[in-house]
Order: sequence, then C-alpha cells, then structure tokens
Amino acid sequence: MSETKGTSLELEGIHAGYDGPDVLHGITLTVPQGQIVTVVGPNGHGKSTLLRTISGLTARRAGRIRLGGQDLTGLRPERIAALGLAHVPQGDLLFPEMTVYENLQMGAYLSRDPQQFAALLEDVYALLPRLKERHGQIASSLSGGERRMVGIGRGLMAGARVLMIDEPSLGLAPLVIEQIYEVIGTLREQGRTILLVEENPARVAHLSDVMHLLDDGRLTWSGAPAELLEREELLETYLGG
Amino acid sequence: MSDTTQTLPKAGKTLSGGRIDLLIAALLLAMAIAAPFVIESRYMMGQLILGLFWASVAVQWNLLFGYAGVFSLGQMAVFAVGGYATAMLAYYLDLNIFLAIAAGAVIATVFSALVGLACLRLQGVYVALLTYAIAQVIYLLIVTDTNCFEMVGTTCRQFTGGATGFARFGDFGMRAILKGDWIKGNYAIVLGCFVLSMLVSWIILHGPMGLAFKALRDNQAYAVARGINRFHTQLLVFGLSAFFTGMTGGLYATHFQAIGPGIFSISSLLFILAIAVVGGVGTFWGPVVGTIVLMVADELMREVGSFRSIGLGLIIAFAVVALPRGLVGRFSDIFHKHKS
Amino acid sequence: MDILIAIITTGLTNGALYALATIGLSLVWGSMGMLNMAHGALLALGGYAVFSVATTLGLPVWLAVLAAAGAGALAGVILYICVVRSLIRTAGKNFETSVMIATVGISISLQNALLQVYGGQPLKQPFGVSGAFRIGDSVVPWLNVVIILVSVVVMLGLALLISRTRMGRAIRATAQNREAALLMGVAVERTYLQVLALSGAVAGICGVLVSSVTQLSPTLGADPMLKAFIMCVVAGLGNLPGAVAAAFGLAMIEAGVQFGMGARWGFPVLLMLVIAILIWRPNGLFGRAQIRRM
Repeated sequence: MSETKGTSLELEGIHAGYDGPDVLHGITLTVPQGQIVTVVGPNGHGKSTLLRTISGLTARRAGRIRLGGQDLTGLRPERIAALGLAHVPQGDLLFPEMTVYENLQMGAYLSRDPQQFAALLEDVYALLPRLKERHGQIASSLSGGERRMVGIGRGLMAGARVLMIDEPSLGLAPLVIEQIYEVIGTLREQGRTILLVEENPARVAHLSDVMHLLDDGRLTWSGAPAELLEREELLETYLGG
Repeated sequence: MSDTTQTLPKAGKTLSGGRIDLLIAALLLAMAIAAPFVIESRYMMGQLILGLFWASVAVQWNLLFGYAGVFSLGQMAVFAVGGYATAMLAYYLDLNIFLAIAAGAVIATVFSALVGLACLRLQGVYVALLTYAIAQVIYLLIVTDTNCFEMVGTTCRQFTGGATGFARFGDFGMRAILKGDWIKGNYAIVLGCFVLSMLVSWIILHGPMGLAFKALRDNQAYAVARGINRFHTQLLVFGLSAFFTGMTGGLYATHFQAIGPGIFSISSLLFILAIAVVGGVGTFWGPVVGTIVLMVADELMREVGSFRSIGLGLIIAFAVVALPRGLVGRFSDIFHKHKS
Repeated sequence: MDILIAIITTGLTNGALYALATIGLSLVWGSMGMLNMAHGALLALGGYAVFSVATTLGLPVWLAVLAAAGAGALAGVILYICVVRSLIRTAGKNFETSVMIATVGISISLQNALLQVYGGQPLKQPFGVSGAFRIGDSVVPWLNVVIILVSVVVMLGLALLISRTRMGRAIRATAQNREAALLMGVAVERTYLQVLALSGAVAGICGVLVSSVTQLSPTLGADPMLKAFIMCVVAGLGNLPGAVAAAFGLAMIEAGVQFGMGARWGFPVLLMLVIAILIWRPNGLFGRAQIRRM
C-alpha cells in the first residue's frame, strides 16, 4: 500500500443522477488517510449513488473528485480502479458462477504480480478464515453472510489505497451483521482508509472517525460520531430514531 | 408531456399528432391518385406497385416489432404463405382470384397464429431465431420437393411448385377491361388494399389495443400488473399483421402472375428490415418514408448493379447505428425541439 | 450395422461442425447479449481466406488455416469497432434487436463482397484429406476424422483460454456481472473486442472445415449458422458446454432422421423437436436467466 499522508479522497460539489433529475446536490467531503469516514442516512437518499459516482459507475454532472491528489474527472470505472480505489458495491455483485477463489482472483485483476497476490490472499484469508474454507465453492451457493465476506475480501484483494463499502449490513441477520462489523473493526485497527455507507448510525458510530448525514442528496450534518448520537432530534427526523 | 418522454418519445407524440397524420395521409393519397394520370412509363408504374408491396409488408412488420415488440424474422414467410395459397387455390381449384387472395390472407393468418402459439411465450431473441428457422424450413421443404404431383406436358410438377413455383394461375382481369393500361388497374387495386391496411393499422394503434402495446413495450411488468395479457395481445397482433401481409402476398402473386421460393430469400427480408429501420421503427409513417427512400436508392444503385446488395447491407448497418429511430424519428425530434 | 456406423460418422462430423459454429455464437451472446447474425458470413470468410492463401498464393495449408482464423478475428474486431461499440453506448434496451438487424446488414454485405471478389461458381478449397478406412463393410473417410479432431482441439483450446487465463476470467466476469467487472478494473469494452475477435477466429476455422465437406460459396455459412442458432436455443443462449452437448446430440438425431426418412426431413424434424423443447422449457434445456449487460 502506498503511504501518502494526508487526504486520500476528496469530493467537491458533486452533482450526479441517473436519467431524471439530480440525486446528489453538491456533496463535499474528504476521507483522510487512515481514517474511516461514514455516510449515514435513510434509504433512497443517494448513499449508493454517492459511491457509484466516485467509482465512475454513475455519471457525475458537476464537481470534482480527487484520489490521492489525482483528478478523477472523466475517467472510466476501470481507470479509477487502477488508480487505487476499491468499491464493495451494494448487494455484493459477486461473479455468481465463479468460485470464491476466482472471485478473489478477480479482485486482484489489475495486479499481475504473483507475490503480491499471494501476500494479499494470505491477509484476506487471515481476516476472513471462512473464505479459505470455502475457496472452491461456487459463489451463488454461499449464504448471505459468506457472500458479503467474499465481497469485502474481493475488495481488499485490490490492495487499494481507499476502500468504499456500501451497506455491509444490508439484508443480513443481526448476528451476522455483528460478525461483519467485527471484520471492519479489524480493518480500522490495521489503519485502512475507508469510506463506509450505512443506514443505522448506532451500528457504525464506534468505528467511525467522522460521520456525515446524507438527506435527500445533501449532507445536512457532519461531525464526530459521539456528537451525532447526542443529537436526538437529528436521529429522530432523519432516521426515525 | 413530462421531460421523461425525452428518452421514450415515440408513442405519445404520434397519438397527439392525429391531425398531422391526417394531413400527411391526404397529401400522400393525392399524390398516389395523381400518379397514374401523370406517369406514362409502364416501368415506373410497375415500380410504384412494387413499392406499395414493400411498404405494406414493412408497415405490418413495424406494427409487430415497432409497436407490439415482437421481433419476427418470419415476415416474408407469412407473405409467401399468402402468395402461395392464392396461387395454389387459383391453380388447382380454379378459384376466383379475389376469393383466392382473401382465402390466402386467412390461411396466412392461421399459419401465423400457429407460429405465434409456438414461440410467443419466449423471449424476444428466441422469437426471432425460431421464426427465422421456421421460414427457412418451409423454404427448404419447397425447393427440395421432387415428388411428382401431376404431369404438365412432359414435365412433372410438384404439389408445392418445387424450385420453379407457380405461374399463370390468373390475374386481376384488368387486361380485358383496360387493355394497354391494365397496369393502372392493377395499381388501383393494390393501392386500395394498401390504404385499407394503413387505415386499419391506424385505427388499431389509436384504440385500446394500441394503448396495450405501448404499455407492454414501455413497461412490461407494469402493463401485466394492470391486467394486460401479453400473450393474447401479441397473438392478436401477430394474426392481424399476418392477415394483411398474407393479403399483400396474394396481390403480389397475382400482379406478377408468378410466385416462387425466391420470395423467401434473405435479401427480400433484408429489404423489409432496411425500409423499417431507415424510415423509423415504431413510427407510423416510417415504413412509408423508408420505402420511398430505399426504392429511390435502389434505383440509383441499379447503375452499379452487382454492388447493390453490398450497399443495401451497409445502409442498414449505418441506419441502425446512426439513426436509431430512423428518418421519421429524427425529423420529429427536430420538429418537436423547434416547437418547444 | 453399416447404417449405424454411417449415422454415427455423419452425426459426429456434423456435430463437431455445429458445435464449432455454435460456441462462437454462444460466446458472444453469453458475454455481451449480442446475437451475431453475421456469424455465417464469417464462416464463409474463413473458407475463402484458406483458398486465397493456399491455392492462390501457394503457401502451406496449415498457414492458410491460421490465416482463416486471423481473417475471422480481424472481421470480428472491425465489426466491433464500426457497429457494436456505438450500439452498446447508445441503443440501451434496444441493443439486442438493433445489433441483430445491423449484423444482418453486415452479413449480406460481406457475402456479396465475397461474391464480387471470388465469383459465383463454387470453388474447391485446398484443405482436405483424401482416403478412408474401413470398419467392417463401411467406409469412413479420413476427412471426417480430421474434422472431428480439429474441432475438438479448437474447442479444448477455447475452453482452456476461458477457464484458465486472465483474459478468460475477465470475459467470464464481464458476462456474469458487467458492473462488478468494471469495479475490478476490467476494461469491459476491450473484453467485448476480445470476445468478438475470438468468436471470429473460431468462425474462420469452422468455415475452413465446413467448406472442406461442401464447397466454397459465399453462402456456405448460412446452413451451419441456422443449425447453430437452433443448438444455442436448445442449450439456452450463452451456455457453452450445453451448446456443445446440444450440437452433438441434435446432429446425431438429424443424421438418424436423414437416413431413416430422407435427407430433406432432417432439419424440419429437428425444428419440431426444438419447438417442443422450448414449449417445455422456454429458456432452453440448460438456460439461465437473462444476462445483465447494461
């Protein structure tokens, strides 16, 4: 991993949307090196669109995105990935007919160095031992929690400078959610740079360095996690308690 | 209209454009009626009739694909069934030619409904492949037919006409009435039938069934949820389009006094596709405009003779890439942008 | 007994040819949702390429076969650059039908271009093996054996490429989830280009084999392509192993019908069978749900 201190990912006035009107109305945020920044907010208010816009899947209509100082304007998703951004998308988007191992291999698609691959694989297997057990199994036959782990493992295999994770708790049983957030806790201890998206702030407050509240395509509040949890009126209005 | 129609504009606009349709129809009809009084050349009249045949088949294909979303590659087979049925009824049973054409249209409809039963439950591309394969099978069965059905002089004739097909089974009777101007009589009959088929198409597209097509094409799940039965609607339009296509086949066979397996050839299917694509798939006037453009282009390419097919193929590919909704779609986009 | 051997020989030979024609089609469909109606014309291109290189230029036949593969691949690349790429970007949900219509046009142009260059009379092409061996009283031409062997080698090569190499993984990843492939850094448009080139190369070789049995004519690919469509549909579009199995199975049935009922009934019976299968299973025997391209 390249170690440039300071800000890793910078967004400035991002507007984006699909066919119709804008979904995001001027998002500005930064993800500093070695921190976990979390965006929380109700479903359907643009959290996934934000990550998709950063990784180039959704067209940006205005604003700038910089990764480690490099401008991502107008780059295609595969170029952005090559510059060191890994995106664990919502719903995993695994390669369903590939084995766990092949999915991880695809995660490291851009690196042609077998030694680096072996090292990354060892890290991922250490972090997610279940994947080692299941390495030969076809992805579509895994349980929901296992699939999520493959998704995260595949993202880590890129050896990227910044990791974006979209709602890792989505659709999982409470016990499994706990396991997944334990994994993210380990990633935090390893000092990784992560942009995390989650619906429920209580689940991620202890993991986050900075939290943003995304409401109807705008960041309506930003600050330390502890502050957000104290602001009951905010939680009430936007997140229904 | 909301701004989302920008991406799916075709349907709504033709609906509101009923008056424009009427204007265009009146203009075209006036020109079509004036043509035989102005044009003296028999060749030109022949080309006009041929153009009406092509336009008619393209209109029906467009009804199927552009409106009902059924991507059939068996259109020329339906046309051929109509033509063959007409020829065979007149040849073997001495049926009156107009009755034979009507019967041919009905037989084409039944044939098409059977094909529809077999493949309309499938997804789009599968429908295309199956209709294409069915057309090819019929073609192969006809050209490889060698069983003698009857002897004509010293040569043997197959029931299906074999590789040579049928000839001299009757005509419209215009030679007896109009003598040298018989071709103008033929023109009148073909034009009349074409106008009828256009009229019926227009009425259908602007009735409840037209709305059902639009719903199915734009959002199938929603349409089905609202109680529109996709299979029934598509089968109905399959049959309807087959009736007029078969009728055109019968008119074609009668006008040329011949029908043979060549009509199945991929190049006639290609010409239909080209007409629809260049004119504009899913637009009412697209096939008519496409026919005019391609007949003129064809006439010009006659100079280069053998390169005609190469040119035609490239025109299709180019039109698909550069004019996604054809000339009519392009024109109406410009027109509407201008107005708003 | 002799009839049985004849049926098996014909069935295996045709099965090999159909399988080769089918996997080219199916590969393209499976990875990009594109039905290449010009596939048959690529077969013809391969056949004529062998003729030009070996007969006209007098180069060795093995080199000519490679040239046929190269010509097919090049045609695939040109097809992608001139037609498919812009349709992928602009046609949206109409891509499937648009690309079919466009490739029908390309197919006619290519066939007629071949007609212009080489003329209409059927040509004998240089790839071939003479002689035969006997099993009991029946004669099996060596050419059939060569055709089966070459097909199997090409199919095995393709299978290895798809399953074992980095490029093959990228192709499979793109087919299974285009967005995820993009996120992994796969240049999806380049993958599409590779797929069309590969399919073109296989088509070129297939055209060489087909024309060694029949003769060279611009429409030589029409019949194998039609059969290949049927095989693809039976197997479920995009399923490569299924397509190979369907090709051999249906070729055997076709051969049996041809010997039993006469040559002209082979294809009609096949089609009836296919329609019956599709009424029973609308996505084909081994079909999977629609692939996601957009």
